[in-house]
Amino acid sequence: MIVLGSNSEVAQAFVEECLAQGEKFPTIYLLSSNPETTEKFAGHLQVKFLQNSEIIPLDLMKEIDYKALENINSDLLFCASGYLGLGTEEGLYDDENTTQIIDVNYAKLVPVLNFFAKKMESKRSGTMIVLSSVAGERGRQSNFIYGSAKAGLTAYLSGLRNYLFDKKVHVLTVKPGFMETKMTEGLPLNPALTATPKKAAAGIYKAYKNKKDVAYVLPIWAIIMMIIRNIPEFIFKKLKL
Amino acid sequence: MKPNFVQKVTNWGNFPIVEKEMKSDDSVSKIKQFVRDNNEVIARGNGRCYGDASLGEHIFSTKRLNKFISFDRLNGIIECESGVLLSEVLEVTVPQGYFLYVTPGTKFVSVGGAIASDVHGKNHHAEGCFSEYVTEFKLLNENSEVITCSREENTDKFWATIGGMGLTGIILSAKFKLKNIESAYIRQESIKAENLDEVFKLFDESEDWTYNVAWIDCFQKGKNLGRSILMRGEHALKAELPSNLQKKSLKLKEKFKPTVPFYFPGFVLNALTIKIFNFLYYNKQTKKQLNNFIDYETFFYPLDVINDWNKIYGKSGFIQYQMVIPKENGKEGMRQILDAIAKSGNGSFLAVLKLFGKDNPLAYNSFPKEGYTLALDFKVNKGLKKLVEQLDTIVENFGGRIYLTKDSMSKSSLTNYLQNVDSSKFVSLQHKRILSGGN
Ligand SMILES: Cc1cc2nc3c(=O)[nH]c(=O)nc-3n(C[C@H](O)[C@H](O)[C@H](O)COP(=O)(O)OP(=O)(O)OC[C@H]3O[C@@H](n4cnc5c(N)ncnc54)[C@H](O)[C@@H]3O)c2cc1C
Repeated sequence: MIVLGSNSEVAQAFVEECLAQGEKFPTIYLLSSNPETTEKFAGHLQVKFLQNSEIIPLDLMKEIDYKALENINSDLLFCASGYLGLGTEEGLYDDENTTQIIDVNYAKLVPVLNFFAKKMESKRSGTMIVLSSVAGERGRQSNFIYGSAKAGLTAYLSGLRNYLFDKKVHVLTVKPGFMETKMTEGLPLNPALTATPKKAAAGIYKAYKNKKDVAYVLPIWAIIMMIIRNIPEFIFKKLKL
Repeated sequence: MKPNFVQKVTNWGNFPIVEKEMKSDDSVSKIKQFVRDNNEVIARGNGRCYGDASLGEHIFSTKRLNKFISFDRLNGIIECESGVLLSEVLEVTVPQGYFLYVTPGTKFVSVGGAIASDVHGKNHHAEGCFSEYVTEFKLLNENSEVITCSREENTDKFWATIGGMGLTGIILSAKFKLKNIESAYIRQESIKAENLDEVFKLFDESEDWTYNVAWIDCFQKGKNLGRSILMRGEHALKAELPSNLQKKSLKLKEKFKPTVPFYFPGFVLNALTIKIFNFLYYNKQTKKQLNNFIDYETFFYPLDVINDWNKIYGKSGFIQYQMVIPKENGKEGMRQILDAIAKSGNGSFLAVLKLFGKDNPLAYNSFPKEGYTLALDFKVNKGLKKLVEQLDTIVENFGGRIYLTKDSMSKSSLTNYLQNVDSSKFVSLQHKRILSGGN
């Protein structure tokens, strides 16, 4: 398995879910912008599942060394890379913030995903599971830079799925709603709408096994987003979302 | 949305409930920062202590310190971060033929919590407390330094932290020894005892067994006072298992676990229902003695079978009252305690009697002392305070003490036994309550 964004709690929970379900991987490639922290997770996998892994530095905010990715091959890719950055109030006119959000969530991520898509296409097998976001379904005033980058990613994934369909490669777009992670710690999230990483991972694993194309982590989010998508623009623009 | 870390926090007894800051992180530098930035910090593992021991002004939850670090499979020594639960340790080690030397009655406690409370199991008389098998741990102290503590290094902090209820710092990770097992099953004998005298006799006769525990029906009075079932057990050897269990002797089947979906209304658990439950429990076993093989989960963690069972006590919560009375007075002490409970009508759903062996004098903050220990659950209600006062007086008269990890309202003279833990940095609500003499 190839993991992009290995320090994400959901990515780690997904890896554990696969191993707990008895999936076998010769090596798990942990691509990470913070190899030192990932080291801990690699050790954990070794103890808990006797699972070998290899840590490969990959920082989407920096130049990407594709040579280092050359020998990485697997039938399963899980991508949880993402960057929330500052919201509109603090960050809209901060150019560096804007660029970073767009780079990590879309501009620099897409070529990396393409790189692995190409390998899977040539082998005519594989699954790519990529976390996008419900924020990509409609631009909301509070964080639309992030939302727009995720919207781009979602569109890219649907196109990629379409393109790879007859090449036997499956693309699964995951749209998590709220999750109980470090990123959201301390926010007053509604427990009914919030998934723990473990629960999210179990849901994603099921969607993967059932060859779903698009999956929300909690089913309730499909309904919420359907409503949000369908609010007429002339009303939507007046809402404080 | 700006983060605001203040939230409702409570432990297993759902009493007390506080609104305090709680944060969690897995980065040591961020944890150091948290300790530096705040004056009153307390660590919290999985909140399985019953009362206010892991509550404080600024709570650091170890839930993200959840990684294994190493496992020496040859010598059975495992190292993990402090938020790893004993259930997770067992998941890894049982299939490889290793078990915890000491485990409390639930496996959902963290390694940090097990050290901070220096937990005991059904084998205290034979194998002591959890700390006996801890070889070292890393502690984040009040100066925000990470120090390694062991029997050779920083020994003062090592022993003060064991049973120290989080008041010496935050345990980040720990290394401990495991015991070899041949199977995931226990050879068990359960024996019915008519009364207290008989169960004491059974305890004496069972001294050579590794695990001993008795469940008491605390509604009985007079000549039936102390009616109980004693359960004793040993890790089963592979060869002695029935043949259907031998093939996969280290693997257990996954079981269905029901969850209590909501807090039961207050009237559900009352003297009558507890009496009925106790009657059924005692009479479920029709024979005087039952010998069988049961899996380790059923033997050690009967209550873990139901998720969130604490909700049956309703929203007002419950307390667990656990005391130890030194051996010389133990029997008479137990008699008076059970008598007081039976008279009060405040029955306990669960009353567990164990016999502690000799303590480790180096682990001076550990709760166990040689003698009898009884743990009882009581629903929080108006009469409870009075009953606790009554029980406290008996415990005090017999020279006993209260287990801090279960305490939330006992007399401070029974709960102030910790030494070398006073720090202005690590402060729990419990410690403040005890120091102020309040209860
Ligand atoms: C059903 C049930 C059965 C039980 N049976 C037994 C039993 O048989 N024997 C027994 O001894 N206990 C028993 N207990 C009590 C339980 O074992 C202890 O309360 C244990 O400490 C709980 O661990 P925790 O991780 O939930 O810690 P918490 O409840 O969160 O905290 C307990 C204490 O440990 C401290 N602490 C936690 N983590 C750290 C850390 N990383 N660093 C420093 N301090 C820390 C806290 O400050 C607090 O003082 C039982 C509890 C339940 C609910």
